Amino acid sequence: MSSHQDFTPKPVEKNIRNTYRWLEDRLPILSFLSDALVTYPAPRNLNYMWNFGSLAGIALVLQILTGIFLAMHYKGDVNLAFDSIQHIMRDVQWGWLIRNLHMVGASFFFIVVYIHMARGLYYGSYKSPREVLWGLGVIIFLLMMATAFMGYVLPWGQMSYWGATVITNLLSVIPFIGKYVVVWLWGGYSVGDPTLTRFYAFHFVLPFVIIGVVVLHLWALHLHRSNNPVGIDLKRAKDYIPFHPYYTIKDTFGLGVYLIPFTLMVFFLPEYLGHPDNYIPANPMVTPAHIVPEWYFLPFYAILRAIPIKEIGVAAMFGSILVLFFLPWLDSSPVRSARFRPLYKQIYWLFLINFVVLGWCGANPPEGMFVIIARVATVLYFSFFALLPVLARYEKTKPLPATI
Amino acid sequence: MKFLLIALTLLLPVLAHASEGEAALPAQNWSFNGLRAGWNKAELYRGYTVATQVCMSCHSFKYITHRDLMRAGFTEAEVKAMAKSMNMDLNAPLLTGLAPADAQETYGKVPPDLSMMNKAREGGADYVHAVLTGFSEDPALIKEHFPDGLPAGAYFNKAFPGHAIAMPPPLQEGAVTYADGTPATVEQMAHDVATFLQWTAEPERFERQRMGVFVLIYLAIFTLLAYLSKRAIWKDVKGH
Ligand code: HEC
Ligand code: HEM
Repeated sequence: MSSHQDFTPKPVEKNIRNTYRWLEDRLPILSFLSDALVTYPAPRNLNYMWNFGSLAGIALVLQILTGIFLAMHYKGDVNLAFDSIQHIMRDVQWGWLIRNLHMVGASFFFIVVYIHMARGLYYGSYKSPREVLWGLGVIIFLLMMATAFMGYVLPWGQMSYWGATVITNLLSVIPFIGKYVVVWLWGGYSVGDPTLTRFYAFHFVLPFVIIGVVVLHLWALHLHRSNNPVGIDLKRAKDYIPFHPYYTIKDTFGLGVYLIPFTLMVFFLPEYLGHPDNYIPANPMVTPAHIVPEWYFLPFYAILRAIPIKEIGVAAMFGSILVLFFLPWLDSSPVRSARFRPLYKQIYWLFLINFVVLGWCGANPPEGMFVIIARVATVLYFSFFALLPVLARYEKTKPLPATI
Repeated sequence: MKFLLIALTLLLPVLAHASEGEAALPAQNWSFNGLRAGWNKAELYRGYTVATQVCMSCHSFKYITHRDLMRAGFTEAEVKAMAKSMNMDLNAPLLTGLAPADAQETYGKVPPDLSMMNKAREGGADYVHAVLTGFSEDPALIKEHFPDGLPAGAYFNKAFPGHAIAMPPPLQEGAVTYADGTPATVEQMAHDVATFLQWTAEPERFERQRMGVFVLIYLAIFTLLAYLSKRAIWKDVKGH
């Protein structure tokens, strides 16, 4: 076997003091970074909704940095975990700062990514040729949820333990093998020390997997460049401006705006988004009155509980996220931006409001009117996706401008 | 439109929080809340007195040592004297002498560790204060909640969920003698010990808030400069 072309070695820089050229000729990593962060041609009409991608990247890096420092003092053992968190909060130099940054950082990461996704949904960024870019985003979202869920188990408080128990138990609905899968996952007959240890291992490693997927995400992005608020393909050179300095400075400003509420939470309200029960050490003998997951899971938790048949509830919960993968094909309208789609724009806003309503139901006990509201909202959630193919056929879109 | 979007997303956690069903607790005036807040040393010392002389016969404060009190503004000499009067090592955690098994037998419950109590209950210090002042022997009130009488060994408490608590009313008028001469009413002791519990739950509270103010000032300047730079750099971009 031989390859089809002869190989001609390229001339390379020999003098290592010509460092840039020397390295470029061996590993073109600097021009790769420069293509991504300096010369990357970005549409000049991007609005502030386009800040949230780079903000998500910064939030991810912050989680990893604070996480590594936490890992230096945390102990992944059911007898030591809870106390080791108190050790971090009280005895470790700047321990409370690191932990608050990590805790509040997780919530803010989700806020950023939810906005980032809502942006894509509004401007049709998931449509051709960005289907794979969008799909990679959904994979990141799933990985983030897995990471956050396992991270919340680590402090080994009451909510850690019971949240882990409730959510892992969901897998028991898998036909025939469900029971065994759950035992295998726990490493025992209930959530216990083996569960905590493996969750710690996964919680440590998954963010690095996320980094890998983010690189693919950016690779796909740069191939076709960013979408824009008008949603049309931009063809002229003057429609683009270099990422640096225009978007580096805009993202820097956006970062400042983001860090202000973030700082307020970290330094003044670090417990606001948490649950008091998680300051009670895990106790398998005492079930908390209400088991509630972290706020960013609440809409999906509401879908789970809205359906009385457990198997279907679990399927609906996972389906409510997996359906996002199919969005590019469900929505067959050729027009991307909601600005030119009067009907889509309306159901888009209804969808977002409905999502918040689902979250509200998820935060409340599944009783009385909350059951009814959650059921209606679950139907509405899926109706949005069911409506899209129909909508594309009948919607009269506004005329698209030829250029920006 | 965009602002609405952001507002909506931010509303989610707020809504979730608002609907966690907070019981209406009488809100107290705490020295650790508000703009000019800080640890009030006299109050903490009174709280420490109640905590060590009353609560510690049943409860532990396992994350707290006497040395930790130096973080709240006590001097080394003061802290040494306090430890000495209790015959304790400066670095020993404040543990109760009541063994869990004995507690289980006497009260039917093991009294929980109190170091984290103010973070571990909805309402925090307000809740602890409400429990300590919420005992009642009013037969009409008890009958209303427990038509068949209180469960054996339980005491009626207005704030405790379910109203039947295994803790005997710990505070009686004059249960301690305050060194500063403050009259030891139940109300006063409950307030002082709840303040002390706030400190044990988050000794870093004011280090955190003070640092937060500086970080915010820094960020305000940073963001303003970034905004001005953004405007300057984008000046020549059409439509902006
Ligand atoms: C005679 C033993 C005893 C003393 C003294 C005592 N406690 Fe308790 N305490 C208990 C027991 C037992 C419980 C468990 C009650 C239950 O769960 O029903 C408890 C529970 C509590 C709780 C938790 C209530 C809840 O929401 O679960 C608080 C707060 C508390 N005690 C505060 C104090 C404070 C403050 C003092 C000192 C002023 C004190 N206790 C003194 C025995 C005691
Ligand atoms: C770790 C989380 C994530 C990071 C770090 C990240 C990062 C980025 C960055 C830097 C951009 C380019 C800037 C921008 O257009 O805003 C981008 C674009 C994009 N992201 Fe993400 N992202 C994440 C998660 C997601 C998720 C969960 C989705 C959706 C399911 C998603 C969908 C998209 C899409 C569709 C684009 C292209 C947008 C456009 O060009 O208009 N991303 N991402």
